[in-house]
Amino acid sequence: MLKWFEQAEQNSSNIICSKIRLARNWSEYVFPSRLSGEESREMLARLGEGLQDLGDADGRDYEFAYLDELSDLDKRALKERRILNSFIVEKKGPMSILITREEDVSLLLNGTDHIKIQVWQPGLSLTEALKTANQVDDFVNSRFSYAFDEKYGYLTSFPTNVGTGMRATAIVHLPTLSMGKKFPSMLNDMGRIGVSVRGVYGEGRENYGALYEISNQKTMGRTEKELVDLVSKVAVQLDDQERQIREMSLGSHRLEREDEVYKSYGVLKYAKRLTMKDAMTFLSQVMCGIADGLVKTEEPCPVFCLMLGIQTANLQKLSDRPLDKGELDVARAAYLRSELPRLSDR
Amino acid sequence: MLCERCKIREANIQYTEVINGVKTEHNFCAQCAKEMDFGPYSAIFDGEFPLAQLLSGLLGGEMPVQKKDRLSQVTCPTCSMSYEEFVNNSCFGCADCYSIFDPLIHDNIKQLQGSDSHKGKRPLYQDFPEESRGDAAIVAEEETAKNNNSAKQQLRAWERKLKEALRVEDYENAAAYRDRIRALKEGMEADA
Repeated sequence: MLKWFEQAEQNSSNIICSKIRLARNWSEYVFPSRLSGEESREMLARLGEGLQDLGDADGRDYEFAYLDELSDLDKRALKERRILNSFIVEKKGPMSILITREEDVSLLLNGTDHIKIQVWQPGLSLTEALKTANQVDDFVNSRFSYAFDEKYGYLTSFPTNVGTGMRATAIVHLPTLSMGKKFPSMLNDMGRIGVSVRGVYGEGRENYGALYEISNQKTMGRTEKELVDLVSKVAVQLDDQERQIREMSLGSHRLEREDEVYKSYGVLKYAKRLTMKDAMTFLSQVMCGIADGLVKTEEPCPVFCLMLGIQTANLQKLSDRPLDKGELDVARAAYLRSELPRLSDR
Repeated sequence: MLCERCKIREANIQYTEVINGVKTEHNFCAQCAKEMDFGPYSAIFDGEFPLAQLLSGLLGGEMPVQKKDRLSQVTCPTCSMSYEEFVNNSCFGCADCYSIFDPLIHDNIKQLQGSDSHKGKRPLYQDFPEESRGDAAIVAEEETAKNNNSAKQQLRAWERKLKEALRVEDYENAAAYRDRIRALKEGMEADA
């Protein structure tokens, strides 16, 4: 079964994928931070039993796992694929997860809140992702009554999630726009309209791969649809601006652009060692080249999937022994040599 | 540049103050900065600086000291989270914390979220929320509780009374209910 990001085809849009997250709590228990180990286990058993036939109801194939039965490496790999966040990976105590084989729909139980529903979709499809999340939400709610308040809405552990409990996120690729001098201040201004933008990969102030995550800052006072529309609108606008600049650069510097894309492809296809930063930078170039029609591959090339593939925990999982930093760079290059599709003759 | 306070150590913290549009700059060393009072930002110089603390500053930092002392003793009867703990972690312990701490945090949530009332989806399947039930219903329930002599139901009724008392800032009654709840809980534990 292909994962959702493996099915995604690289197309001309710079909007890579969309995510909806709903945070919910069962009214019968106190929030996870105040639950004892015993209470947590009892709640998880009851939740697990009540959600057993979720798959029958929505036609998806769910797998169930207790997080403490997973290895650290598995948890880190799930974090790279953005199923878990770093808080959950570090968190002790009983937690479990229901996740489809495609990894597009997942329910984390007893994390920050009792139930976290998360839906990923390729491209810009927040509305569709919200529809799926709502269906799962209604099923869960048909079995378990939620902590809900007339005034404050869905009650969550953190006041930053209360209200709709929803975070809508779109990941966009902005390699040219992000080189502009005004880009950082533009990102800051986004806060004023209730949207936060942050780099997806990178260390410190550096961004590798020019991927940016756009999401709603506030969760209360606006409906789910209004929040989804807001994030979508910003994503579309950024995509549009990026496209305009790229078209301009193609008009005046086509040869340079082609040269950059082909050189990047060449390095990815033939290098023997690649650091994370280099690999992400070249993949970003190739992503750009495919989107602009500068290169064509024999088979569809889901660049975002390759970006997930070259992350540390995934490479570590593919290897049969622990790798040090130097060996990781070798493994990363080998992964890309084998996974990057060949260019087609034009 | 040397620290302008101790004039011994190298200054590595620049502090810019803008009061009524007049900007003044100061240069301190880390140690002096730590000893000085920068209000909610002092946490920056305490070595660790997690985001939660900044959020905490936003949630509880600006209250007058006297009021804060009294308020920090407010405790949620359901999960025993105190207001002080809440401010430290910026994290609620249970659903009831919202109504218990409501009078204290209402303005902060509004500041944080830009709104204080939920719009959007409501649970499809839900028992009628307790808060919107009329007083008559609550009194009736209290009566049944007494008749049934069910300690658990009595507890819930008192907890609701406590919440209501806190909401209208009737601290005397709140304290009375708190004591009753405590006594009842102790009794229940002794029975168990």
